[in-house]
Amino acid sequence: MTQMRLHLTFPEERVREPIIYEICRKFPVIVNIRRADISLDSGWVELEMDGELADIERTVSYLRDRGVHVDPLEKSILEG
Amino acid sequence: MNSQSAPHQESERTLAEGGTASSPKESKIKGLKCRECGRLYPAVAIHICEFCFGPLEVDYDYTAIGRRISRRSIEEGPQSLWRYHELLPVTGTPTVGLHAGMTPLIHAKRLGKLLGLDNLYLKNDTVNHPTLSFKDRVVAVAMTRARELGFDTVACASTGNLANSVSAHAASVGMKCFVFIPHDLEAGKILGNLIYNPTVVAVRGNYDDVNRLCSEIGGEYPWAFVNINIRPYYAEGSKSLAFETAEQLGWRIPDQVVVPIASGSLLTKIRKGFQEFEKLGLVSPNDRLKVNGAQAEGCSPVYRAFVSGKNHLVPVKPNTIAKSLAIGNPADGFYSLDVVFKSGGAIAAASDPEIVEGMKILAETEGVFAETAGGVTIASLRKLCAEGRIGRKDLTVAYITGNGLKTMEALAGALPDPVSIDPTLASFRKTVNPTN
Repeated sequence: MTQMRLHLTFPEERVREPIIYEICRKFPVIVNIRRADISLDSGWVELEMDGELADIERTVSYLRDRGVHVDPLEKSILEG
Repeated sequence: MNSQSAPHQESERTLAEGGTASSPKESKIKGLKCRECGRLYPAVAIHICEFCFGPLEVDYDYTAIGRRISRRSIEEGPQSLWRYHELLPVTGTPTVGLHAGMTPLIHAKRLGKLLGLDNLYLKNDTVNHPTLSFKDRVVAVAMTRARELGFDTVACASTGNLANSVSAHAASVGMKCFVFIPHDLEAGKILGNLIYNPTVVAVRGNYDDVNRLCSEIGGEYPWAFVNINIRPYYAEGSKSLAFETAEQLGWRIPDQVVVPIASGSLLTKIRKGFQEFEKLGLVSPNDRLKVNGAQAEGCSPVYRAFVSGKNHLVPVKPNTIAKSLAIGNPADGFYSLDVVFKSGGAIAAASDPEIVEGMKILAETEGVFAETAGGVTIASLRKLCAEGRIGRKDLTVAYITGNGLKTMEALAGALPDPVSIDPTLASFRKTVNPTN
């Protein structure tokens, strides 16, 4: 089992969709939301995701395909 | 040190050997504190609150610091950022980056005249030591702290200034160094790191892939990853820009500052630095201080949130010549936005042509050759003046954070060709005609 800590940003067109629910149904990952701030037109969620590495990778790909921006908890680490 | 053990517990021996810093009985560092929920942690190599995932910050004992610090104690200190060691998160004698900081504060009369400002100053970190950018400040502090915590290996993920500074400082003290870069980074930028002989790891993937890999490596290996597990200490180094500004202005806080925004940390820490000086009575409070931000239009998540009046940042894919500011989802973006809003400041953004123009007018009026980030700052300053957000009489400081020699490619085609002549006086007179 692997755990990743992720920062998800939801764009306006996705913020009202149950995407967290979807990933829990579609993939064998355990999601634990630790911090979030959601408004009518945008939002972010910080969570822990536990599962096999390959399943987490598939989940992250799915989130990106659905228009969710996925970063590590630290957000942009790569600096100029 | 066992390479598999996390070397983060500070020993009594290390504390007791502190030459210029606090005694172990009266440590200035109380620990780390969550910026969101306020939970306290020991001052070790961690950066996230395990309870709420908020970022951790250094928690100082200002009462203890106040008993030891004074204008005089600072003025008698070294000509480097370490003259402010009481307000930096190290407990012993500084060991890394001993010559970083104390860069010139230039009264920019000619640029000020162009922009309609009588009291414009430039904090010139283009000449910071050893790698010509403000990163030498944060890295000096981060690596000194990392050594106090027992690390022998340092790491970072960077496409430019940060990698240069970490590599150079690691070389100067013989630490092992790992630098992570995207695989398609330009050769010139890689060479600027390789000269210091770190291990440069080119990751086959995009920026998002590099970020995620580094986050995983930061959690896996017992290294001091300067902007991950050492970030609470690393970020504090930026306060020295505010300390020096206030001291060089004759112990005054300016009315306006203009700060480039990449991760957003620099802007928040400059504000914090001024607040600490005020809290300790080293300067008179200046409630008029407005903190202004500068971003490149091609990577402006904080600017966009500012103009829309929202506090949610939407991550962007960077597309700008200002590579040193190209952070698509800045860790401290929200906090920098908050500082700007609360101070009554503003954020401006500059297009690529405006960035080059900013670099040119800075060079032509003040003789300062800044990298593209400096162009962003000057172009944004110009806009803020034109919008009337900065007044003619305001005591204004703009932060120039890196040297133009690092981003020469940005000027390709933007400058006139040399005047070409034959090696004769007649050709010179005919072609150059200096009397006209």
